[in-house]
Amino acid sequence: MFSKTRSLLVVGFLVCAVTLIGVAPLAQAGSPKEIKIGVLFPLSGGLASTGALIRQGAELAADIVNDKWPNLDIPMAKWEGIPSLGGAKIKLIVMDHRSDPARGADLAKRLIEDEKVVGIMGCYNSSVTKSVSTVCERYGVPMINSNSTSPLLTRRGYNWFWRTTPDNITFTVDLFKFLEGLVEGKVRGVGKIPREELDDLAIAGEETEYGTTGAELLKEMAPEYGCRVVKYILYAHESPDLTSESQAMQAANPDCVLFIPYVSDVILYMRTFRSLRFSPHIIWGQDAGTVQPDFARVLGKDANGVITRTVFIPEVAIKVKPIAAQINNVYKERTGEDLSGTSARAFTGIQAWAYVLDKAGSTEPKAIQKACNEIYISPDDIIMLWGGINFGSTTPDEKGQNVLGMGMIGQWQWKDGKNVLEAVYPFDYATADMIYPFPEWE
Amino acid sequence: MALAAEITASGILMGSIFALVALGLTLIFGVMNVVNFAHGEFLMIGMYSAFLISTFLSIEPLVSLPFVAVVGFLLGIITYYLLIRYLLRGPMIAQLFGTFGLMLFLRYLVMFILGPNPRVLHQGVLIGKSVSLSWFTFDISKLAAAGFSILLFVLVSWMIERTKLGRALRATSIDAEAAGYMGIDTEKMNALAWGIGGATAGIAGGLLANFYYITPTVGMLFIMIAFATVALGGFGSIRGAFIAGLIVGLIMMVAGYYLSQIKLAFVYLAYFLVVVLRPRGLFGW
Repeated sequence: MFSKTRSLLVVGFLVCAVTLIGVAPLAQAGSPKEIKIGVLFPLSGGLASTGALIRQGAELAADIVNDKWPNLDIPMAKWEGIPSLGGAKIKLIVMDHRSDPARGADLAKRLIEDEKVVGIMGCYNSSVTKSVSTVCERYGVPMINSNSTSPLLTRRGYNWFWRTTPDNITFTVDLFKFLEGLVEGKVRGVGKIPREELDDLAIAGEETEYGTTGAELLKEMAPEYGCRVVKYILYAHESPDLTSESQAMQAANPDCVLFIPYVSDVILYMRTFRSLRFSPHIIWGQDAGTVQPDFARVLGKDANGVITRTVFIPEVAIKVKPIAAQINNVYKERTGEDLSGTSARAFTGIQAWAYVLDKAGSTEPKAIQKACNEIYISPDDIIMLWGGINFGSTTPDEKGQNVLGMGMIGQWQWKDGKNVLEAVYPFDYATADMIYPFPEWE
Repeated sequence: MALAAEITASGILMGSIFALVALGLTLIFGVMNVVNFAHGEFLMIGMYSAFLISTFLSIEPLVSLPFVAVVGFLLGIITYYLLIRYLLRGPMIAQLFGTFGLMLFLRYLVMFILGPNPRVLHQGVLIGKSVSLSWFTFDISKLAAAGFSILLFVLVSWMIERTKLGRALRATSIDAEAAGYMGIDTEKMNALAWGIGGATAGIAGGLLANFYYITPTVGMLFIMIAFATVALGGFGSIRGAFIAGLIVGLIMMVAGYYLSQIKLAFVYLAYFLVVVLRPRGLFGW
């Protein structure tokens, strides 16, 4: 009995195997051509939740390119693949670099050599983007970056690296223009603020490529705008405790505390500030940590009044751009959340890849390189408030930077039991009266 | 002067908490000579247990501590009976990789079930409360955690040194075979060491949850400090773990105030110096 059953199982297995072996080539021959893009994000470790946001944004963009979306008023929603490549579908090969530059470089080699990707997108952490782009440069493989903001990345003269997001220089200038706007009374809901209330700065940057370059920029530019740096701290990523750093800032008595953080550290800073009852006039974050839904959700009312630079505020984008509202609705149906600066930038990064491939009409690296250098994506086609996408330079030493990008500043405001990110800069886009100063801790 | 007092007070508070995290680690090593790489994950599960009990059953986080201790105790016991008992039959390297594997398994199991997003406790008698003195503002939840840490150290030391059970544990740690001949059930003693180690890690997690964020990877942040603390104090020494925890806390606070980016380097430097000058640690034997 046993041997009969076993014989039947073996025969069944062989039949299935033969069937699958016979059908597989047919299925492959009939399926549309795929274009593999390697995507490297932090999907585990302390930035796993951030990586999940980026992945959701990138995958939504790929799905919109690959399938038909009649209800979306954006050209790529009608493509069903890359038009100039015979409707070839984009396939994202997603890998986890764990915020480790060395691992990122290894994965990039694997994507290029084993997976034969036509290009790479990533990597969020500027330090990982730096190592991965170096690999791409060596192999002559195009890399489009959507979420890393260290200015140095586009100042290395690389021929195979392009970045869609504005960098920290744009965001830092925005911050100082915003502070000047406060002095001049341009900020909605706030009268003129005496300069002495805003000119002493404490800067706290995470000691990584992103944090140190961001902190250095703030320190360099502060005197140009009449500000003084009274405390400058570089802290270790995911430190088990930030009490002494917070005490050091409190002792310096700054008007504004400026963070360049990832999310877990800035949550810990805010909890420590609360326990120390430390309330400067302004608490501002350079996007990565403070812009994330997790930041607001975890801190709840404690995030009320925190200012963050961003590139996407749903309420503004929805008002100004119908397409942003439509894409946001699709994203919200999938994830239950609005697009954030993080996910919206990842969406735009894959969108840029699709437009570049369509313009190139080829998967040859040289053709993609040429297309990247010549591409212009209209502002009407993207969900950002940018002037579009066009890679060039804003300074002589820059290369491959989207020169049409634009930054925004939002403020978390606690309303009806939840945090809402309201726009406070550019002043014309303000969606609510600003809360000033940062509220005293209850 | 006020600054020095402020830094010292912060260092003692955080140091007591680091010591509490290290307590279970040193206890398990002391009894069984096994380095538990998954100890940070025990802590993390303690934090999540406190969070889930407090959030979904609306129980005050402090009241949830006994439940969290039970969760940690059971986790330790289960780990011993399902994993460590078998690893002990293999070489030392199997024990190291075994607990390392357990660390990854628990971390990613929690990430799979609860997601990677950070969480914090918002409600509780200690949460967000401070006491201001003229020279320092105390975070009450840290103060309470430090108090519990001292209490637990006293209790565990008393149990180890003054009770029959403690003598059996010590006998097992000194010579398991001879202890067996004397009628001590060494298997039970080993399991008990894991249970107590897990319970202390759980309590540390439950206390940390009052002021720290909770993620599946949070144990990683504390485990390296805990290893340095245990090695500094002497592997297996309970008193050593407490004193070393205070030293680590003070070093971190002073270095963090002036040179934040390399504050952990000072902690590991202290550990390195002790290892070079006194390899068995400050109170090891």
